[in-house]
Amino acid sequence: MIILHAAFFGDKFHLWGESPASGPEPSGRRKNRVSAESDTPLSPYDSGRSAIVSRLAEAGVDISAGGKKQTTLSILLPSTDSGPLASSPLIAPAPDAAQEAALKEWKVNSISLKPVDAIDLLSRCAGKEMLAPGLAVGKDLRYWVAAMQFGAGLVVRQQFLPDLVQNETKLKVGFRAVWEPVLSGADYDRVLKFSSAMPHLCRASLFEADSDHPLDAARLLKDFIAFIVDYLVRSAHSTQPLIASPPIPANSGSIHDRWLKALVSDDGMLTGSREECERFAHQIVEWRRPVFITSSAPFRLCFRLEEPNGAESQSGDLSNSTDDAIASNGRDWTLRYLLQDVNDPSLLIPAESAWKSRGPRASLFKKRGFNAPEYLLSALGAASNLCPPIEESLRMPAPDGCDLDLSRAHRFLTEEAWLLEQAGFTLLLPAWWTRKGTKGRLSARASVKSPKLHGAAQLSLTEIIRFDWQVSLGGETLSLAELKMLAKLKTPLVKFRGQWVQLNADEIEAALSFWKGRSEGKASIRDLVRMSLGAGDAKGGIPVESVSADGWIGDLLAGIQGRASYEEKAPPKDLKAVLRPYQLRGYSWLKFLRTWGLGACLADDMGLGKTVQVLALIQRDREEGANRPVLVICPTSVVSNWEKEAARFTPRLSVMVHHGIGRRKGDTFSKEAQRHAIVISSYALLHRDIEALNAVEWEGVVLDEAQNIKNAETKQSKAARSLNSGYRLALTGTPVENNVGDLWSLMEFLNAGFLGSQGEFKRTFFLPIQTASDPSAANRLRKLTEPFILRRLKTDKTIISDLPDKMEMKVFCNLTKEQASLYAAVVEETARALEKSEGIQRKGLVLATLSKLKQVCNHPAQFLGDNSSIPNRSGKLARLTEMLEEVLENDDRALVFSQFSEMGEIIRKHLEENFGREVLFLHGAVAKKNRDRMVERFQDEKHGPPIFILSLKAGGTGLNLTRANHVFHFDRWWNPAVENQATDRAFRIGQVKNVQVHKYLCAGTLEEKIDEMIERKRGIASSVVGTGEQWLTELSTDELKELFALSKNAVAD
Amino acid sequence: MPRRQRYNPRRYHDDDDEDGYYSYSHFPPKSVPRKVSGGIRAQSQRGTFGKSWWAQRWIKVLESFNIGSRLSRGRSYARNGQVLSVELNRGMVTAGVQGSRRDPYKVTIEVATLSRADGEKLGKELSAQPIFAAKLLASEMPQDVETAFTACGLSLFPESLGDLKTKCSCPDWSNPCKHVAAVYYLIGEEFDRDPFLIFRLRGLDRDRLIKIISESAGAQGESEFDHEELFASDETRSEPITTDAARFWDGGDIPAGSSEMELPPVVAPLLKRLGSFPFWRSERRLVETLEPFYDRASRQALRVIAGDWRRK
Repeated sequence: MIILHAAFFGDKFHLWGESPASGPEPSGRRKNRVSAESDTPLSPYDSGRSAIVSRLAEAGVDISAGGKKQTTLSILLPSTDSGPLASSPLIAPAPDAAQEAALKEWKVNSISLKPVDAIDLLSRCAGKEMLAPGLAVGKDLRYWVAAMQFGAGLVVRQQFLPDLVQNETKLKVGFRAVWEPVLSGADYDRVLKFSSAMPHLCRASLFEADSDHPLDAARLLKDFIAFIVDYLVRSAHSTQPLIASPPIPANSGSIHDRWLKALVSDDGMLTGSREECERFAHQIVEWRRPVFITSSAPFRLCFRLEEPNGAESQSGDLSNSTDDAIASNGRDWTLRYLLQDVNDPSLLIPAESAWKSRGPRASLFKKRGFNAPEYLLSALGAASNLCPPIEESLRMPAPDGCDLDLSRAHRFLTEEAWLLEQAGFTLLLPAWWTRKGTKGRLSARASVKSPKLHGAAQLSLTEIIRFDWQVSLGGETLSLAELKMLAKLKTPLVKFRGQWVQLNADEIEAALSFWKGRSEGKASIRDLVRMSLGAGDAKGGIPVESVSADGWIGDLLAGIQGRASYEEKAPPKDLKAVLRPYQLRGYSWLKFLRTWGLGACLADDMGLGKTVQVLALIQRDREEGANRPVLVICPTSVVSNWEKEAARFTPRLSVMVHHGIGRRKGDTFSKEAQRHAIVISSYALLHRDIEALNAVEWEGVVLDEAQNIKNAETKQSKAARSLNSGYRLALTGTPVENNVGDLWSLMEFLNAGFLGSQGEFKRTFFLPIQTASDPSAANRLRKLTEPFILRRLKTDKTIISDLPDKMEMKVFCNLTKEQASLYAAVVEETARALEKSEGIQRKGLVLATLSKLKQVCNHPAQFLGDNSSIPNRSGKLARLTEMLEEVLENDDRALVFSQFSEMGEIIRKHLEENFGREVLFLHGAVAKKNRDRMVERFQDEKHGPPIFILSLKAGGTGLNLTRANHVFHFDRWWNPAVENQATDRAFRIGQVKNVQVHKYLCAGTLEEKIDEMIERKRGIASSVVGTGEQWLTELSTDELKELFALSKNAVAD
Repeated sequence: MPRRQRYNPRRYHDDDDEDGYYSYSHFPPKSVPRKVSGGIRAQSQRGTFGKSWWAQRWIKVLESFNIGSRLSRGRSYARNGQVLSVELNRGMVTAGVQGSRRDPYKVTIEVATLSRADGEKLGKELSAQPIFAAKLLASEMPQDVETAFTACGLSLFPESLGDLKTKCSCPDWSNPCKHVAAVYYLIGEEFDRDPFLIFRLRGLDRDRLIKIISESAGAQGESEFDHEELFASDETRSEPITTDAARFWDGGDIPAGSSEMELPPVVAPLLKRLGSFPFWRSERRLVETLEPFYDRASRQALRVIAGDWRRK
């Protein structure tokens, strides 16, 4: 485990890492590792450079190409007598609360990255807590990621200027030509807020600072942003030189020539005498002054647009009388000038008092070193170029605002306000104004008459239908008279029934044409559905407000928009389960969308029974005469689970598993597939066998754990989109709607084209939402996707009132090939020995074999006890990791029980490497004090560790762990009483949520068979089975052989 | 490429030499200037100098001297970068010009500055309309600023030959000579860019003008401002490094992005607002040369934000 950290100083980005100390005692190690040249000891948690480089290389980040430089950092770390503290319990346990920490200096080995590598690394870390298993992104590094994005934003908006800065080194004073960010207005505010969020670790590097004079957060952040901006601009040149010919040697030509050259050179150094450079640097300051004075003052000019007073009776108000409205352009709007305190944006001082040099305001300004008149003059001078009425107002002494007539006010809102904002001024605009215009707009309503339907078979979304347009304004239907009157008005802003609305000539023209009988439109039902969800414009760029329809199209639209509840379907006859009410609704919803050929994503919480809802749908279709197979694609780890669930709930559906080495290919596959109702395969094969899969016309395609296609570029995602299918369905337990970036790929699979092309999606939704620049974008996206995503939370009692407090589920897992061959070897060995043994010896042999086989089912590394590598060797562990990932994403908490403490340790290590979060592990060797502390942290700590592994013996009784709502039994104790007792750690007094119990079984192994035996014996009193696993030893040799034998379906690889 | 102008009877129509051929008596001593690299090159490469009305007003004074072809030679000098340096201060311009001799000639142009009393009168007049100061501070010449001057019986520009004192270390008997003319034209061109220079030359620098205006606006001139301090005031006090685990390792909540993330409608708005650099000395125009960087850098940065940035 490495946690990556980074320091920034001297225009360099230095990467270092923290790993658990490998020695027995941190303090003991430290003494041996005092570096020769100084007394500062090396941190016991230092990862070392080579470990960082190789781990990064495994994660696909190559930082060696740029010629990495090795450095050693001195940093201040909170420390106790026994050494430095670690950033995370993953590195070392948190210290005793009683121990007082103090800052001490430590050395760490670091790598100084070239800018290109630094930006590459930072952009890969964006939005991630783990860069790869075992490689966590430290909070400080995440902070740098955010700062880099901020810097990149400045570059996008071109808020930077060329500059010349003094570059002092020990040897000499030099000058560097650089690209400097210009922080004005809101950007400046953000930098201040940003800097106060900086982890102190970022400032704890002792290159320039000492403990008494630490680096200033704001200064450091600005330096870093400047570094990013400079590099991004400079490197834009290196990809394709812009200053190429005629070539100028860097050291000749005028200083201006040399400066231009240096602005794009790698190091930016400017040659020339010190005196010449200093004079030039001073000239640059003067040159930049008009921008600088408005961008770095402690107060900022702010414009507030005020509506005419008493507007009710005013002109421009198109209320009831049309005549009133025509007498437009009555009273003026006011644009007020104010000074806004940069540190406290809520403080607004009218310009009126800022012009005066006496009074309370004047002394405030003076205290802040602010020359209000000069600033106002400069700022208004700059603003006057962008907005002519401001220029006019400067004809009178001490202006505090200007008046705008209606059309000027409109122009101000639509154009000038934007320009002023970009120039760094603050704008306070009326609440009814948005970036895209007034909230109320001229909009179109489509009304559709459904054509006659001849049977359900005809339904098709591609069918073209006709409809009529109507016009409304600000949500109110417009009459022709009103529309004509608006056209005559020729004002861009109108107060219509109490609210200001924006009008433009083109829109009015288009609206009038709707009235003049040219209002008919044509579109496919699919487009109509999109329109009704707020995507797509009518003629003349008028947004579509609503689509109303009668008949079956009306039903369709109402159902999609959730206005009307879709018809609740009766459960299929041959479903061997009683659907709970919410499951019945989910199944009906699937059926509704499927009927229309619309894709659906069922995103219910884990444990709510997504599988059974889908099986019900497939069963129902079959009963209604569907005869093509349905393809289910899922992760390898759940193939068996699907098979078992289908066998349990829909035993009449024939299931074919397309998996493993012996799977059918080509024609044999398609023929065989046609003979089954369900074909189950995995994501790995989706791409590999796409040709065969594509040769079949599927009734439907179901993607389980659909987050597997969240990246649209992967071969799996492309293959999934290419399948021929009647309907498409995605299942996931993670909140897909939260991750905007992943949504496109999912929706493109479900309903191709609904969110536009990937590029369009990035422009209209991803970037605006990611940068929070357009609050309406998230709403529009939700409106478009909501109808196709159904997510119910088990905590939502209003929807799911009938969930039992405790739900037990079996999770069927597969063996890996390695596990299967180990399993077979153990069975073979036992079979020989069984023949020869009797009595006590036989009992011992049976119990030992049971234990060995359980270990093989758990993990080869546990069975072999060889401390070998963990990933990709166990079906159970893969499944556990997937399910816990879902648990974490939903902010739930889980207990994981195993009867083997060796396995507990393997699980702990694996989960920590994968999730980068601390995982608690309680086993027999944990002292009482620590044990209590673990329980306390799990139960009471606000952001405490969400996963708790317990060995069945140490943690199976006595503890109260009600904060968990998931219990995983990783291996089985063949005695229900023991298992139940463990389960009850979570399910006892104090539990407010329902508890899900997941019992892991390897399909086709003794685990499944013993489970079946227990199920059969359920009715018999538990005393018969006893308290141990002894009862198994009573079985006959033949029974035992059958019990141990490995079924064919155990492996999925 | 800049042209080197030589005497050629067949080219007497050329505007650079319009009176060279005929006005024989004014013909200056014939000389070929030494070639210079790194001199100040005029932006104007043909025709007249000075686009703005105020620059033209300035140049008109020079051209009212009857110095014949020295004007056109001066323009050529300015265009070919023979002027090595220009320094503009209160009431005085000093410059170095490379002629035919080895050492550059030293040129000075003196302009009468406004007296303190005149300054105060003017301040009253200017503060009645803040537009004057506001425009000047934004590097623009207010349209009718001259009305403020005439109202006080003053003039912004040197009106006649008597208002200027020019000197040059060259052997030409004429004053102004072509070297003075070259410098004069370049100054005119700079006035286009930053009209404040005229005020500075007349003895009204930025700080004095602000002071005059705010005093006249009823203020008492009690506040003396340190501009450097103004720029430095954004520094916050550095907070000592803490041992508190949350603050040390995790930091606070990072504010969400709130700014527009689109390319600006005009490329390089800040650069264009500032315009070119005073007495720019390069073959490459500043704004035109750097403009493409802005566009390209924008697109590159957009890829960084969208997560599409891959190093080449």
